[in-house]
Amino acid sequence: MAEVEAALVLDGVTAAYDRDPVLRGVTGTVPVGGSLALIGPNGAGKSTLIRAILGLVPIVAGSVEVLGTTPAHARALVAYVPQADQLDREFPVSVLQVVLMGRYRMVGWLRRPNAAHRRAAMDALAEVGLADRADERFGVLSGGQRQRVLLARAVAQEARLLLLDEPFNGVDATTTDALLAVLARLRADGVAVVMSTHDLSVAHLACDEACLLNGEQFAFAAIAEALTSERLKATYGSSALLLDDGATLLAR
Amino acid sequence: MRELLIEPFQAGYMRRAIVEIVVLGVLGGVIGVHVLLRRLSFLTEVVQHTVFPGIAIAFAFGQSLLVGALTTGLASVVLLTMLGRTRRIDADSAMAVLFAVFLAVGVVVVSRRRGFQSDLTALLFGRILAVDERQLIDTFVVAGLCLVVLAVLHKELVLRAFDQGGAEALGYPVNRLDLVLDAVIALAVVAGIRAMGTVLVVALVITPAATARLLCRRVGTSMAVAAVLGAVGGWLGLVISYDASVHHGWRLAPGATLVMVLTIGFVLVAAGSWFVRHRRVRALVVAA
Repeated sequence: MAEVEAALVLDGVTAAYDRDPVLRGVTGTVPVGGSLALIGPNGAGKSTLIRAILGLVPIVAGSVEVLGTTPAHARALVAYVPQADQLDREFPVSVLQVVLMGRYRMVGWLRRPNAAHRRAAMDALAEVGLADRADERFGVLSGGQRQRVLLARAVAQEARLLLLDEPFNGVDATTTDALLAVLARLRADGVAVVMSTHDLSVAHLACDEACLLNGEQFAFAAIAEALTSERLKATYGSSALLLDDGATLLAR
Repeated sequence: MRELLIEPFQAGYMRRAIVEIVVLGVLGGVIGVHVLLRRLSFLTEVVQHTVFPGIAIAFAFGQSLLVGALTTGLASVVLLTMLGRTRRIDADSAMAVLFAVFLAVGVVVVSRRRGFQSDLTALLFGRILAVDERQLIDTFVVAGLCLVVLAVLHKELVLRAFDQGGAEALGYPVNRLDLVLDAVIALAVVAGIRAMGTVLVVALVITPAATARLLCRRVGTSMAVAAVLGAVGGWLGLVISYDASVHHGWRLAPGATLVMVLTIGFVLVAAGSWFVRHRRVRALVVAA
């Protein structure tokens, strides 16, 4: 694959399920190794934007360019990390099996993961600090640990662009540190990161840029520039509460 | 004991019945694991009902009942899977409408024919002891086809069941995977109906898999255990019903006996796992 300068180019993206646009006019660029926080209230279109980058939502206007090509073509190089809480905890699958799922497209149809795939999966698990839990059932791990396993799955996929859905939602401090460390390492290796989050302090720690969303784009800029009280208030409306010391509380 | 387990198979019809039920037990067990993973139990019920018009039409025109059942069973599953994709109709309503339409068609056909009575009983409760060699071959073919498809798509089907969003993000054709699994479930249920009847076939799919789920922590082992439970349960059910009928003069219907055996297995395992967990919790409390 030829070197590309931008991991993600959004140009006036308008996405719609059925006929009603859920998201209008999102424009911005994430460079190789860059990181973007998607910030906005529930129903603002953060998940829709992530699905649009995956090529799973019809784009009715504008364009999405991923790693210099269309979302559908870039898919093998894009990893999606869902929220751990959305997955069935009773599902009879081991931690290692979950991480191996990240390799399935490399493994291909009709084949089983070989020793090299297993090694890659174990390395990814070691990076999130859970190598010793490989054989346990996924569901017995804590929420934070499960979130780390899902990040390990994305690492095992060897993607160039990572899309994370609320990765820091309700996780413990150990997990937050582990996630931040892995994301920093990936970015140093040129992997771009896009994450939706409600947590402004984590957004500051993990991302250079922020996109404020609520049906449309309220900001797409360097994080300090984007996350001002005025802009947050404009995005969240009455559910943003500005405190005297300038901090901002956001309702979900 | 040896007499009980081996003697019944001197008779040809019992030999065929045992082969049929063991194959169906293995098939039902393996498919049941997928059914539970995807929470598709309702799909087996849909097929139970929608095979009826196919069987009625095939009977009216003197065609193979299996082909008739397969046609309408598969058609209903494909329709339901596609209706499930639209956001305008919820799955429950779609299912209710399908049930009614398919049943109505069946009733219309049946009410225009006479002599369907005894076949209706067979449809409801199955006729495991009347399985002939052609039917055995049918069952082998259907079971082989289903098991090969499940083996070939194993890792993709498990990924999709575990994490639909993740499977879509990886670029897997989730809709087509769903359709294939739904069709395999329909095939297996239809194959089981002739032996077990529409009322009892669901037990052959769900019960061994539910028992295995209590015992296993991996999909692969669940399938192996469910297959063994299905086969052994089928064997035992048949043997017990034979022994009771021939040596003791109690007439136990083989299909129903089989369901009882499978269910007793489930209850024992459920009680055992509850007991083990309970003891572990108590040990923890005492230790604390």
